[in-house]
Amino acid sequence: MRLWNRVQSWLRAIVGRSRIESEMDAELRFHINAFAEDLVRSGVPSEEARRRANMEFGGIERTKEECREARGVSFTETLLQDLRYGLRMLRKNPGFTLIAAFTLALGIGANTAMFSVINAVLLHPLPYPDSHQLVLTFLGDATGSSSRSSYGIVDYLATRENQKSFSHFAAIGLGQNSFTYIGAGEPQRVRGTPATGEFFAALGVQALLGSTFNPASEAPGQPREVVLSFRFWQSQFGADPFIIGRSMLLDGQPYSVVGVMPSDFHFGPRDNDEIWPLLQLGPSEVRPPYWIAPFGRLKAGVTRVQAEADLSRIAEHEQHLFPKSSYDRVSIVPMKAFLVGDSRIALFTLQGAVLLVLLIAIVNVANLQVARASTRERELAIRTALGAGRGRLIRQLLTESLVLAAIGGTAGFALAQLGVRAMLTLAPDALPRMSEVTVDSRTLLVSSIFSLLSGILFGLVPAFRGSGGGIGMGLKSTTGSGQPAARHRLLAILVVAEFSLAVILLTGAGLLARSFERLLSATPGFSPQHLITVQLALPDARYPQESQIADFYRQLLERLEALPGVQSAGISMSLPPNLLALQNPFRTPAEPIVPGKELHAAEEMTVSPGYFRTLGVPLIAGRFFVDADRARSDQILIINQTLARQYFPNQDPVGQRLQTGDADERSPWETIVGVVGDVKYQGLDAKPESTIYVPYFEKGWTSWSREMFLVLRSTSSEAALMPAVRETVWSMDKQLPIASVRTMDALLADSIGQPRFRTVLLGSFAALSLILAAAGIYGVISYSVVQRTSEFGIRIALGADLNDLLCLVLTRGAKLALLGVAIGAPAAFMLARFMSSLLFGIAPADPLTFVGVSGLLLLVALCACYIPARRASRVDPMVALHYE
Amino acid sequence: MDLLKGTLDMLILKAVSLGPLHGYGVLLRIQQISKDRLEIQQGSLYPALYRLEHQGWITSEWGESENKRKAKYYRLTTAGRRKLRTEAENWNRMADVIAGILQSKPEEV
Repeated sequence: MRLWNRVQSWLRAIVGRSRIESEMDAELRFHINAFAEDLVRSGVPSEEARRRANMEFGGIERTKEECREARGVSFTETLLQDLRYGLRMLRKNPGFTLIAAFTLALGIGANTAMFSVINAVLLHPLPYPDSHQLVLTFLGDATGSSSRSSYGIVDYLATRENQKSFSHFAAIGLGQNSFTYIGAGEPQRVRGTPATGEFFAALGVQALLGSTFNPASEAPGQPREVVLSFRFWQSQFGADPFIIGRSMLLDGQPYSVVGVMPSDFHFGPRDNDEIWPLLQLGPSEVRPPYWIAPFGRLKAGVTRVQAEADLSRIAEHEQHLFPKSSYDRVSIVPMKAFLVGDSRIALFTLQGAVLLVLLIAIVNVANLQVARASTRERELAIRTALGAGRGRLIRQLLTESLVLAAIGGTAGFALAQLGVRAMLTLAPDALPRMSEVTVDSRTLLVSSIFSLLSGILFGLVPAFRGSGGGIGMGLKSTTGSGQPAARHRLLAILVVAEFSLAVILLTGAGLLARSFERLLSATPGFSPQHLITVQLALPDARYPQESQIADFYRQLLERLEALPGVQSAGISMSLPPNLLALQNPFRTPAEPIVPGKELHAAEEMTVSPGYFRTLGVPLIAGRFFVDADRARSDQILIINQTLARQYFPNQDPVGQRLQTGDADERSPWETIVGVVGDVKYQGLDAKPESTIYVPYFEKGWTSWSREMFLVLRSTSSEAALMPAVRETVWSMDKQLPIASVRTMDALLADSIGQPRFRTVLLGSFAALSLILAAAGIYGVISYSVVQRTSEFGIRIALGADLNDLLCLVLTRGAKLALLGVAIGAPAAFMLARFMSSLLFGIAPADPLTFVGVSGLLLLVALCACYIPARRASRVDPMVALHYE
Repeated sequence: MDLLKGTLDMLILKAVSLGPLHGYGVLLRIQQISKDRLEIQQGSLYPALYRLEHQGWITSEWGESENKRKAKYYRLTTAGRRKLRTEAENWNRMADVIAGILQSKPEEV
């Protein structure tokens, strides 16, 4: 009841403020009138009675104020009053308002946009129910030294049967991510992920149409099943509602369509045209190769440690069954952590950077406020004289700042939407989960918090300063130059702060830019210009024999090289800069097999003899492969320089032998016939690795060569050449899809998408901070020049050299900038250390970057100060002396 | 005699407990009951009325005064009646204690 009364009176106070005010008026008037009438009745003349009634009542305005307070609503009312007042003040200074709001909008907008990315990539759960229960499992060993490995077939099957930790256990096959689909029209290569029976059940998702896999179909020999993505169903089957049960040919095998997933389901990038053929796995005689990536849904209450122990038990058992293998432990990684990977550091660096931009923006607005406070000092002094308390004034100034922040925040939120859209257009693959980035309610909330905090921050400085001055001070100084020394000190501190923040940002951006430049100039090991790449895949069904595959490629390469415009053609399993298909163990004769000891791994791939010539990989020693090698009975290979240097130091590697594949005494020894230059297959920023090349026609390897990259060195453009290439391929096999036609230049550009993304982003943040800092120092120096106009006038009148005056002002600017740089440098160094994993080819303490950044900031400061400095040296002494 | 600090609220509650009153009436009633021995600052009466209303001890509504004018009348609520009772008890107890202290003689200490 009482609470309700309170709420009612409070509501009434807000809603019916004017009614309450007039009621209060009426009530007090009634009192005075009634009192006066009583006085008249007792014989006082009416004029006199009215006067006395008013007098005895006391200050009517004060009573009203006390009544308002007693009603307990003065807070809201004051707020409304302050809001109105604040808006009026902002309207009266459109220039200030515009600049301040725009500055804030930039800072808040950049932060909101960046946060949307963090929100989607790091904070949002994966788009599956209870996704925190989803974990990936990897094989490892007790030493923990070897890197995480995927599963072999035996590991997967044993785990599926014996594990106790998961409610569902599933896997995808890593060997294949595309399938040849022959429907109506040209044969196509479609994106597809082979997945085991529990794949959808483990993710906890249902089909939109039909059903997901029947786990019983997972055994080999059962009918093959395939589930379609919504997009695939729409684009390939025109959203045919009777698709379920239809058969489709994938890699020459019939698969029966069992289900279509909802449009919002995705595993990997969103909105992908994708299919999920059922992966059928039968018992295996051997443990490797490790090409199965399992994941599971943890049962409720099972911890990761318990699950690791459970699965390690199984891995240990497999290691006993296959003693030559070495994996006897399992480690578990949450699915989200795995997907997000190492983008965390880049994102935190960027968010940190953008927070610094916001801080600089806030400092700038605070700067403007402090400078403007000079004109408001009289206003504040008058208000103090009229009885406004210090708290009341602070509140009012803060409200004004918050209004400004709200304007800036709203504009910033709009900017953020644009920024996010721009980021998604410019760099859709720059980060994992990038396709999930949107501006949502959480972003809006964070944006509001940014605005609120900035409002408080830049509001507080001038508010405390503004309300602190004595009354007399403000009233007396007609030009508003009261306490100039104190104000100058405050402004100087703000400028120094700006420069120290800017130095951090610019250093970070400078380091990334220098890394990126190194990355661009990093030699990939071949000449990437004028190369066109195409993916080819020969299906098992129509090319069961190794000789068929070898014959096909030989003929194809011959025909392609005969095409006008093609200088040379080659094929390879892997392509630089980051399309590595296989890593394989190897050993030299000098290394005996020790059970449980891992062999070294090398990048191993099959190539055609013309591959090296086509890419422009230099021959260091020995020879390239030739077609005649196909007739040899022994096995041959070519190694790269890194392998030669590491394992055959000070010897001629040509003629030496290697064993590749799993440790096995019986494996044949293969003879090295040549050494070629290093080529990067694991990213431009990776260290060169050992690489082994095998001719595609070598026995036992040809079946690995079904999926190959075709590389063409050509003088013609991709568009001009491709029709002839297609025709040539289809003249040999009408059902072969021609997929992923890219130029090597494009592949290279794609491979550095992430570093480019963060370099561009951090670079723009740094540029923004530089502009803001320049504007800040310009404003402050201009202000101080205006304040010192009369001083300059006197100096000029006394015959000061104009250049000296110029120097005086410039020196002051330079001092502030240098002080800022000196303060910011240690923090910049800390940032550099934090982001060292993002750097390539330069040290975090790269002296050139640090010196360059300091120089740049100093230069910018001097330029920004030059205009006010010139103004100072042009002061007309007469005008100046009349100025005050 | 000036009013003791903190007693105005209690006196207002008492005044309106005898029947609905407008602000001026409250003033007159207190003066009348106290036989003009208490001096009330007219200006301080209204903030007190607003405070009591906000706290829910009294409610107000507009009515017509003796001389046919619109006036705001205050009335005690149930909660206000309880409040008045406890306030009065407290006051009496306090007055007894203080009177006892003031009447104490040297030999009683």
